[in-house]
Amino acid sequence: MSAPQPALRRYSALALLRARFAGERYWRPLWSGRPLRAAYDVVVVGAGGHGLATAFHLARDHGIRRVAVLEQHLLGYGNVGRNTTIVRSNYLLPENQYFYEDSLRRWERLSRELNYNLMYSPRGVVDLALSEDELPALARRGNAMRLAGIDAELLDRAALERFVPALEPRRGRRFPLVGALLQRRGGTVRHDAVAWGYARAASALGVDIIENCAVTGVRAAAKAATGVETTRGYVQAERIVFATAGHTGLIGTMLGVPLPIETHLLQAMVSEPIKPLLDTVLIYVSPGHGETYICQSDRGGLVMGGHLDGFPSYTREGQWYRLEEVVQGAVELLPRIGGVRILRQWAGTNDMTMDGSPIMDRLRYDNVFVNAGWCYGGFKAIPASGAAFARFVATGTPPDLIRPYRLSRFVTGHLLDEPGQGPFPVRL
Amino acid sequence: VTRLHCPFCGARALREFSFHKTLPDAAGGTAFEQTYERIANAALSIEHWQHLAGCRAWLLVRRNPSTGEVLEVRLPDGRSP
Repeated sequence: MSAPQPALRRYSALALLRARFAGERYWRPLWSGRPLRAAYDVVVVGAGGHGLATAFHLARDHGIRRVAVLEQHLLGYGNVGRNTTIVRSNYLLPENQYFYEDSLRRWERLSRELNYNLMYSPRGVVDLALSEDELPALARRGNAMRLAGIDAELLDRAALERFVPALEPRRGRRFPLVGALLQRRGGTVRHDAVAWGYARAASALGVDIIENCAVTGVRAAAKAATGVETTRGYVQAERIVFATAGHTGLIGTMLGVPLPIETHLLQAMVSEPIKPLLDTVLIYVSPGHGETYICQSDRGGLVMGGHLDGFPSYTREGQWYRLEEVVQGAVELLPRIGGVRILRQWAGTNDMTMDGSPIMDRLRYDNVFVNAGWCYGGFKAIPASGAAFARFVATGTPPDLIRPYRLSRFVTGHLLDEPGQGPFPVRL
Repeated sequence: VTRLHCPFCGARALREFSFHKTLPDAAGGTAFEQTYERIANAALSIEHWQHLAGCRAWLLVRRNPSTGEVLEVRLPDGRSP
């Protein structure tokens, strides 16, 4: 049974012109509605950013076309559609620097590669210091970044006020602006477009995308898995990839492997649209007193987020006290937004690992792979993760870029504990 | 879940409490397992909390993480206050 390929309409100025005369029917659905088949080379579980990117690279870079992406809900229903769209590579540890810098470089050219406008906006990511004591830690991180060849600038107060006029330099403040660490190439990417763009490109290469199809079990013979049980019946698979952010702990339980993961909620919220105010990303992490990050979407809404809610949950219902804390922080940074109303609030489930870094490894069987544990930083990792993980799945050997993220690091002690907080996903 | 019932203080706002870690179903296991491994269960989470902004008592909490329902809050050693 050969599935019909959807004729992909390449997006271009010429296509726009053609569509103008051909009418609305010129445009095709982004991905095909091809039905689920009985057997695949690779079954990817989870149609989020990482799952779709892995499927895309399997098909494009490694010629594996018999790939299905199975999704329990709708494509992009999880964290790829719930994050605050920030991309950056301002990390301290070398392993994370190389990985996230690889990802940021891919973001810079991904719209062209996918022929889909992801609205990558290098508007800068500004980590603020509101006391003298916070600046050295930012300077240390900036120096580490520069040693790794990543752009970083330490801004003093005057430079910070020039770069972010919205901070209102002449205004009296309870906590004075001291300085900031700026990564200019950091910024935002339209998150939904990432899911749609990868889905469209993967589908055009023959990848089947199956929504409303939950995986309920893994069937195995001896040392290898043979397929997955789903709500739509059994699907045979040579290899299985789990990219089920927020529910990977439960996948571990399903396979009888306890993982170093707790599932926590992270909230985000957006204000009513206002005129252009903030043309960068502001992040303030107060040691022990909360966190706020804030940027302005192209629609004008102020997108805000902060700490995890603080305890395990699958409910996707954020706690009021965290919303309050985030909003207080935002108003502290940008006092003039005090009268702006919150439009929407939502939460996503996060795989929090015991060192805050991801897990990319095999799970129990030689042909079962898990791409998980992205904590609250999975969105920015999608392009690098998809490319590297596809290579791992296709060749059986993890590329150097993701070798540090293997599961055995928790046994050997080679942890990647970026904030240095020990084996706890939350320290509030 | 918006409140927890502290055995000493009664029902108090959740923000007064601080979550520490989830516990395995059974006590025991190696130090590695105790430190790093978590057994994910969508219907039951057994956790250590502390009433940090209150009486500072350590608590054992049993919750359903899929609904947010609190099933039990007690002292870790089972004593009543």
